[in-house]
Amino acid sequence: MNALRKLLVAVTNLAKELADENAYARYLKATGRQPSREEWCRFSDVRLRRKFQNGKCC
Amino acid sequence: MRKHIYSLLWAALAVLAASCLAVISENRGQPVNSFWLVAAAVSIFLIGFRFYAKFIAAKVMVLDDQRATPAERLRDGLDYEPTNKWILFGHHFAAIAGPGPLVGPTLAAQFGYLPGFLWILFGAVLGGAVQDFTILFCSMRRNGKSLGQMAREEIGRTGGLVALVTVLLIMIVLLAVIALVVVNALKGSPWGTFTIAATIPISLFMGLYLRYLRPGRVLECSAIGFALVLLAVVGGQTVSHSPHWSLVFTFSGVALAWGLIIYGFFASALPVWLLLAPRDYLSTFIKLGVVFLLALGIVIARPQLQLPPLTQFTNGLGPIFAGKVFPFCFITIACGAISGFHSLISSGTTPKMVARESHAWPIGYGSMLLEGFVAIMALVAAAALAPGVFFAVNSPAGVVGSTPVAAVTSISHWGFPVSVEQMSHLAKQVDETTLFGRTGGAPSLALGMAHIFARTGGGEAILSFWYHFAIMFEALFILTIIDAGTRVGRFMLQDLLGNIHKPWGKTGWMPGVIGSSAAIVAAWGYFLYQGVVDPLGGINSLWPLFGIANQLLGAIALCVATTVFIKMHGAKYVWVTVAPLAWLICTTFTAGWEKIFSPEPRLGFLAQSKALQSAIAAGKIGAANLANTETQIFNNQLDAAVCAVFMLLVTITVVDSAWVWYELLRGTRPKISAETPFVISRLETERT
Repeated sequence: MNALRKLLVAVTNLAKELADENAYARYLKATGRQPSREEWCRFSDVRLRRKFQNGKCC
Repeated sequence: MRKHIYSLLWAALAVLAASCLAVISENRGQPVNSFWLVAAAVSIFLIGFRFYAKFIAAKVMVLDDQRATPAERLRDGLDYEPTNKWILFGHHFAAIAGPGPLVGPTLAAQFGYLPGFLWILFGAVLGGAVQDFTILFCSMRRNGKSLGQMAREEIGRTGGLVALVTVLLIMIVLLAVIALVVVNALKGSPWGTFTIAATIPISLFMGLYLRYLRPGRVLECSAIGFALVLLAVVGGQTVSHSPHWSLVFTFSGVALAWGLIIYGFFASALPVWLLLAPRDYLSTFIKLGVVFLLALGIVIARPQLQLPPLTQFTNGLGPIFAGKVFPFCFITIACGAISGFHSLISSGTTPKMVARESHAWPIGYGSMLLEGFVAIMALVAAAALAPGVFFAVNSPAGVVGSTPVAAVTSISHWGFPVSVEQMSHLAKQVDETTLFGRTGGAPSLALGMAHIFARTGGGEAILSFWYHFAIMFEALFILTIIDAGTRVGRFMLQDLLGNIHKPWGKTGWMPGVIGSSAAIVAAWGYFLYQGVVDPLGGINSLWPLFGIANQLLGAIALCVATTVFIKMHGAKYVWVTVAPLAWLICTTFTAGWEKIFSPEPRLGFLAQSKALQSAIAAGKIGAANLANTETQIFNNQLDAAVCAVFMLLVTITVVDSAWVWYELLRGTRPKISAETPFVISRLETERT
């Protein structure tokens, strides 16, 4: 049961990382700001610009 | 005692791997169960990971967990962030896994399942994973620098420039060939076209949802997007059965190619949050989910492989693409065995997120082995089809004949019996009008996957759903690569043009954005169009060109890694990267030479061009086809020139690198490394 819970936590964390939700949480923590539409726009504009400077692999 | 048990377990795994290979080799002439291939692959990958990768990590790279990584030293919460190794493993795998490991093995199955299977096994363990791991290591020790930057610093200015130009050219050929796969999968298929068309408004809705309705709720938004995509797959059946709507969504290859070209332009020029990012989130989750489902399906269904281990097409006269098993099997399967494109990912986001140096081992080496496993699953899915069906789906009309009767006669004559009734029944089962000549690999892979999924749950009653789900899955992430690749190509072109006229370099300058997007789209669109109108199916010329280009980029990456290792240890461990480099040079240069100069018209670009010129001179081409034939002549000459440019660029890099190695080993060049100085890690108490 414990192992299953650990696996579930790992999968959730991976999904949040892939979805940039963890990165957003880190950004809010680092800047000491509250989540809002403006903050998300500010964060995602920078994040996505950098992310899509690299190609996706074939 | 524990150590002995541990050694015994590894020895047992080695025996299992050898036994599986023995069963496969002994079973010639009878169908082999896919279990043996999967078990052999898992055992060999585990052994490679545990022993060979550990040797490289400990002796060659001398990974040191006391040394702070760029993620720790340059931590900014965005790009540089120490990340849990298994999360980063998933992140890296999602970035390297694309359509390549699915389509390449399917196309190479024309040689039988054995050459592709062995190449994936040994190519991944000794080549692909080594390349990904070493480039990740090199970049990690250089603050996360890109391959181009490392080539410039370690080899010289020429190396850096060559890497940049090569990447841009590869990007163009890559986008054209994967767009061709989508076109071939969707032409004449209203169900598939409706589903893929529906993903565009779904992605736009997701973009607006994330921006204005629920900012930051990416998982929630992706779940809604996935539900809508499933609805679109189900709704596609209604569309395909409607006399009116099925006509609206039925397109020819040329019309679909134009649609993709226009789509690519807008996707590149639109704000990234609106279309590209939501589609990327969605396709990443679907990709990982389907890979997991396919693995589960293969384990449960354990299909028999219907294709023989070797076919007569190892002689170079295969219908899917021309060329002998050596070198063409080894360039057709690039991703899945060794892919130069991975070096861009290994020197992109990943090195900036590695928390400890030892994590590079599972992330760099392990992710590539997992991609190799995906390639094995794709091979199993394709080889589980009846050989006659496999060739009927994948052979272009220009080779087997344009009518169903002509096609089944040709294919049955090769020793792979198939009938028109059998193909009609199969097409009806998956709600398609025909499955003949659906080249590109995607439809046959979707058929194989649909059969595996159907055997696992739902039965043949929902075969059509699974077929179109698989087509949606393949097309969705190919479109993401087209979006992202066009955008990256645009940035690279703007970067180059900025040296001539400064405003071109600004990514926000609208004339620059529109002009460079149009130029990149026109470049890959031209190759796509030539593939669509090619009577030999397009895959015959474009996929080998892409394979050659991709693996030549791998050669550049291995040159960089070799230079770094010579600076670290002299010649001692140089074989680790020189062995796969030598293999890549042999295969890609042989393939490139044959594609340009082979006297066989189906194989050599120049021979094909000459044959068409002779046909015009002999008056065999009617006036109606004259302009089209002249375009084909030009296209063949262009393909030959592009192939020659690739080979020339890589020759320059290899010669340049070899000269640097010679000087380093002789001691006439100082061993100056661009590695960042040692800083002790303080991550001890933090969770990584």
